[in-house]
Amino acid sequence: MKKLGDISFLRKLAHILFLRPLLKLVFGVNFIGKENLRNLDKYIIIANHNSHLDIVLLFCLLPVRDIVLTHPIADEDYFSKSRIVFRLVDFFFKPIWITRGKPDHAGDPLGGIKEKIDNGHKVIIFPEGTRGKPGELQHFKSGIGRLVAQYPDLPIVPVFLSGPERALPKASSLLLPFWNHVIIGPPQVSQGTHREITQSLEGILIGLSSSAAARRHKRKPRKKKYPPLIACLGIDGSGKSTLSRSVAQELSGTSSVCLISDRLEFYEHGDHQGIQPLVTEKLREVIGGYAKKAKSLKLYKIPKLAELLLRDHLLHEVRRWYSPDIVVMDGCPLLNIAAWAVLYKKDPLDNETLIKAMTILTGEDLKTRQGDPIFVRFPELSYLRRMKLNKLMLPDVVIFLDVDPTVACQRITARGEQKQVHETEEKLCQLHEAYLQVCRVIQQQWRIPTSRISGEDTPENVASAGLEFVRRSLNVEN
Amino acid sequence: MSNSGSAVTLIGIFAGLLLINIARAVSRKHFPFDSYAKYTCLFFLSFTICELISFSVGIWILALVSFWALREYFSLIDIRLQDRLGILGAYMSIPFMFYFILIDWYGMFIISIPVYGFLAIPLLVTLGGKETEGTVFSIGAIDFGLFLFVFCMGHIGYLLFFAPWKAALLIINVAVCDVTTHIVRSRIKSTWPNILFRYLAPLPLTIVITLLLSGWTGIPPTHSLMLGLLIPILVIMGHHTGDYVKADLGVQEDSLFPGRGQILDNLKSLFFTAPVVFHYIRYFLT
Repeated sequence: MKKLGDISFLRKLAHILFLRPLLKLVFGVNFIGKENLRNLDKYIIIANHNSHLDIVLLFCLLPVRDIVLTHPIADEDYFSKSRIVFRLVDFFFKPIWITRGKPDHAGDPLGGIKEKIDNGHKVIIFPEGTRGKPGELQHFKSGIGRLVAQYPDLPIVPVFLSGPERALPKASSLLLPFWNHVIIGPPQVSQGTHREITQSLEGILIGLSSSAAARRHKRKPRKKKYPPLIACLGIDGSGKSTLSRSVAQELSGTSSVCLISDRLEFYEHGDHQGIQPLVTEKLREVIGGYAKKAKSLKLYKIPKLAELLLRDHLLHEVRRWYSPDIVVMDGCPLLNIAAWAVLYKKDPLDNETLIKAMTILTGEDLKTRQGDPIFVRFPELSYLRRMKLNKLMLPDVVIFLDVDPTVACQRITARGEQKQVHETEEKLCQLHEAYLQVCRVIQQQWRIPTSRISGEDTPENVASAGLEFVRRSLNVEN
Repeated sequence: MSNSGSAVTLIGIFAGLLLINIARAVSRKHFPFDSYAKYTCLFFLSFTICELISFSVGIWILALVSFWALREYFSLIDIRLQDRLGILGAYMSIPFMFYFILIDWYGMFIISIPVYGFLAIPLLVTLGGKETEGTVFSIGAIDFGLFLFVFCMGHIGYLLFFAPWKAALLIINVAVCDVTTHIVRSRIKSTWPNILFRYLAPLPLTIVITLLLSGWTGIPPTHSLMLGLLIPILVIMGHHTGDYVKADLGVQEDSLFPGRGQILDNLKSLFFTAPVVFHYIRYFLT
């Protein structure tokens, strides 16, 4: 017992004479709201966790009498890797050692902590569980709520630390002097279920993190300015090629517009301009021709997919070589593929699966693993991803031409050309439904402005309605 | 006789500032020149120690101030993870530069940062990682801080090497200008009258102070007059630059505290005055 007293005296001395002056002189510590900790004889401190320096800072904050009575919670496995480190941490902070995923002898993972609190000791908890990304607050683990729920009268002191994530970030072992701001919030007494408590505490820490002291100068990210992509969607025979051409022509009065339709065209000052040909465009024409002549839907599928992928690639090339102000597209590869996927799969697709598939196609999905059921359902997605062809672009404005499939069929017959395989009323009906679903999804998920215009009107009225919508949406973006 | 008088005056100024600081700390109330008194007191502590005890201790106190200023600046700028090596390099250059002052190696003092520091830091920043985006901005930001807070501040140290009173003269004059600026700023809104007043108002004081102190500083009356005319302009320039830097770093005038623009705000008038006054004295008077 005597020996223990000596060690705690030594620990106090080490903190006052060594750690605190060192931290203040070399790193700089600024406490904001220290009066919140005054006159409290029992408390739990919760703080965000970004660095090993966090715990030293929090001990700096404590009143001298509490230094030996306060314990952080530490992962025994993590610190036991080196014997010296374990000894040092144990000497300076006397943590409550826990092992992840293993409750103590009494079967309660919080047993050790509760014992200390019952003995009148103070506890420091990092509710994020482990060190997170620098400057970001992770979601709190439920342990804090479970613990606090059992001590309804115990004040919780929320502390936000700003600075240690730069002085000693998780990803670096180089310790550098930077100012640390320790922002102490008013003590909280939470009641409710453990979930509610966890949530409310998380909210309080987020609130502290937006205080003036934690605010930091941000270098402006370089914005890549792409020309906006306007997509005209619709089933065959809805008049989308006509619409896209007139929209491109009208918009080109004030800016240069590139139209990607059956042919590649470039408009400037309201006129058609000659442009340097692109190899991709020639290739696309040939493959598109194959698709048009296909005898069955099965034979149609592969050339059409290739054509759509090339069309998307064309978009990159157009941006690179012609650098237009606006790109107008007859269809949009990503949305077309999505709609066709709905058509090919006979059973109706729910929105969630569709969003997942489309996210994979945009290449922004990093979470979905190879074994995901979506790849069993759509093996094509897996092939595309493996070939790194899943970088399709989302449009910025979408116009959907709504035409009754019967009318569309009549129009196609009136053209007098050879019909493509899918241009029957039944298939067009399904395709129409599929497009509607895709439009709903992009509106909800990506907040892309989408307009549904009736295509049964005269071409002039359709064009003016489409143009008005495009102008409005582009202005909103600017 | 004059020698002991100068020492007594230095100690007197230091003691006065110290008393203000103690009063501030004890009363826990807001004083108008709260933190300014703290840093001015630190400077005079350095000068007094230099005069009475040891030159090297005085210099290392200045080095510490320089380190604190640089640390605050680095805490404010946005850095990438891989810039840390460059920042370490910037910190490491402080002892070197002040050591060159200590051993009176002027040639090395004047090139250590503009040549070797500014060559080493880009290299260190690029050695820190593979990400290329933002390299230019990082190098620029680190070099700028090193230049202002170490190189420019270092000139006070060399001035101190010439004579403690030369450095003290600079700090006193700058303080006079700062106080008048603080009074004028809120009263006169339009730009040109404001600048004119900020120049003219401290002018009689700075001229009189430099002339009065010329016996201790060893600066002849003509040059004292010139310095008295020069310092207020340089202070205005420093304020202008410092205010822009502060605004970009997101430091607000009404919420300055340690680690958030307090040192930057207090030292901004020295950015221009310290090097220019030093080189003026070195060119004409040594």
